[in-house]
Amino acid sequence: MGAEAPRPRVAALALAVGLVLADSSIVVLALPEIYRELDTSVAGVSWVLVSFNLVLALAAVPAAHLARRVGPGRSAAVGLAVFAGAGLACGIADQLSTLIAARCVQALGGALAVTAVLELLPATVGSERRAAALWATAGATGAALGPAIGGLLTELVSWQSIFLIQVPIALAAAVPILAVARHEAATGVLSTELRPTGRPHLLANLALALVSAAIAGALFLLVLLLIEGWRLTPIGAAIVVSVMPLAALLGSRLDGLVPSARARAAAGAILVSGGLGGLALLPKAEVALTLPPQVMIGIGLALVLSALTETALSGRAPQAIHGGWTISARHAGVVIGILAVTPIFTNDIAEQRSEAIDAGTAVILDSRVPPLLKLDLAQKIESRLDEEKGKVPTIGPAFEPLPDDPAERDEVVQLRDELQDQLNRGATHAFSPSFGLAALIGLLSLIPIALARRVEL
Amino acid sequence: MNAERRAQFLVVGSILAAVALVGIYLAAGGSSYTPAKTQDPCKHRPWRNPEGLQQIAEQFTLSALDGAACQLGVSRETLARALATPESRERFTDRYEISDAKLARAVRAGLLRAVDDAEEAGALSPLLAAPLRETLRNIPLDQAIELINNAESLLDDVQGFLGPVEGLLEQLLP
Repeated sequence: MGAEAPRPRVAALALAVGLVLADSSIVVLALPEIYRELDTSVAGVSWVLVSFNLVLALAAVPAAHLARRVGPGRSAAVGLAVFAGAGLACGIADQLSTLIAARCVQALGGALAVTAVLELLPATVGSERRAAALWATAGATGAALGPAIGGLLTELVSWQSIFLIQVPIALAAAVPILAVARHEAATGVLSTELRPTGRPHLLANLALALVSAAIAGALFLLVLLLIEGWRLTPIGAAIVVSVMPLAALLGSRLDGLVPSARARAAAGAILVSGGLGGLALLPKAEVALTLPPQVMIGIGLALVLSALTETALSGRAPQAIHGGWTISARHAGVVIGILAVTPIFTNDIAEQRSEAIDAGTAVILDSRVPPLLKLDLAQKIESRLDEEKGKVPTIGPAFEPLPDDPAERDEVVQLRDELQDQLNRGATHAFSPSFGLAALIGLLSLIPIALARRVEL
Repeated sequence: MNAERRAQFLVVGSILAAVALVGIYLAAGGSSYTPAKTQDPCKHRPWRNPEGLQQIAEQFTLSALDGAACQLGVSRETLARALATPESRERFTDRYEISDAKLARAVRAGLLRAVDDAEEAGALSPLLAAPLRETLRNIPLDQAIELINNAESLLDDVQGFLGPVEGLLEQLLP
């Protein structure tokens, strides 16, 4: 079958993997928009991301077994059709519960498609090693590009377009796979032989879960910090967080230079944790200061994910099942990461917002501007807080129109800047403990990485 | 460089890069980039040499806010915003489960503390402070809230705030 494999089929298989794994992160930049439009909470909106990753984590291994039993062609085609249908449902959802339910179905279809593709690839490209490499590259590319594509679509069209655009792409990917499905249906012959399945590499998968938790926390928190804390637009945030996948491309070039998977995994985990530590200790609310930590995280994630995936698959057969385990581990890690950091930072952001507004009000009360102006500002600030309903407010409008008197105007502008500085401090500091926790989770992954040398499971 | 050395170099380089980033951000003030702490309203806040009726009235209002906030267990700043409009006041009392009577008692206590502070700062003569205290002690609760709630008119026209003692206050001003 490998000799017959046409290029469109290889492209379709890679597209299917990239599309599904991009979906685990593509909504990250749309979350603030969904949060506002569906009038929910931060914890509520996080489930748009969590539900997909949770179902993918739970369904990946059973889906791999199913694909091997019913035929990977049929499984991939059905999976992509379900993924497309659920994507359409996501795009027209007007309630959070509907969106989350559709995301769960989408993940089920995605799990079927990705694991079936893993089963199809070795026969299509000619070897398990090449198949694993193609699968890993397609998945990593999709996951890395997801947030930026999602941010662009949210800004240029709408958050719904993220899901709607996936429908024709998924169906297009399914078309070349249908030939395999028809072949299976006609002959009753599966494309791969059923072989006994070995035990998964526990330590590598545990390390994958931990490091994925740290990376997911980093991406989720950074996007929320940029959009909700520092008030960047989704497109602005998309550009900023694109640094991470770009750095990951750089990191992937180190793979060939250092053959030791253990050294790459350890170095990657240290870089991810160091970058997260930097984000926990941002000395100012400046986008430029997020770049060095992002570069570090990007290089680190490329090193650690490829090294651990390679370790988890090395010498284990069938690769589809073990690939399924790595998908389970990674996406379970994503869920753990998001669930671990969300309650901490939602609590901290409310507390820090209150402290920042108090600090800003103190600046106004103790200032030398005329008392009547102080009272007017206090009223306008209160109105802004009411309008923003518990979110970090954009405070500029509370100071409009500026006084005509030049001296008074200067004082008011200074007060506005001081109040904004306090809000920036509050918004930034609110994320610090969560970034710190994500860094700690990343460091914990060093334990299984260290043990993996001594204990081979 | 052989493969083993490259592996060691990669791990050591990663450790150094991570430590350097965290160290630089710490040195740049990463651990102290937090909102400024507001002062405890129960602690005395010295007056800043007020000159003129308007500044005295302003300091008086701030002291009254401190006193009332201390009684209610909230910050001066939170109370100042809460009293900005009737809607914000209602949100505040709902959020902190404060009855109107409790709020009024706190505001009256705040006003009395403001008289003490004014007297201590030398902005108010003891001769004037005593009758003013009496006035505030006997002031109806609604009017006590109104004194701070309508601070705009209070600051615009100190007579509305200090009431019958305005003439005496003006005589005692430096």
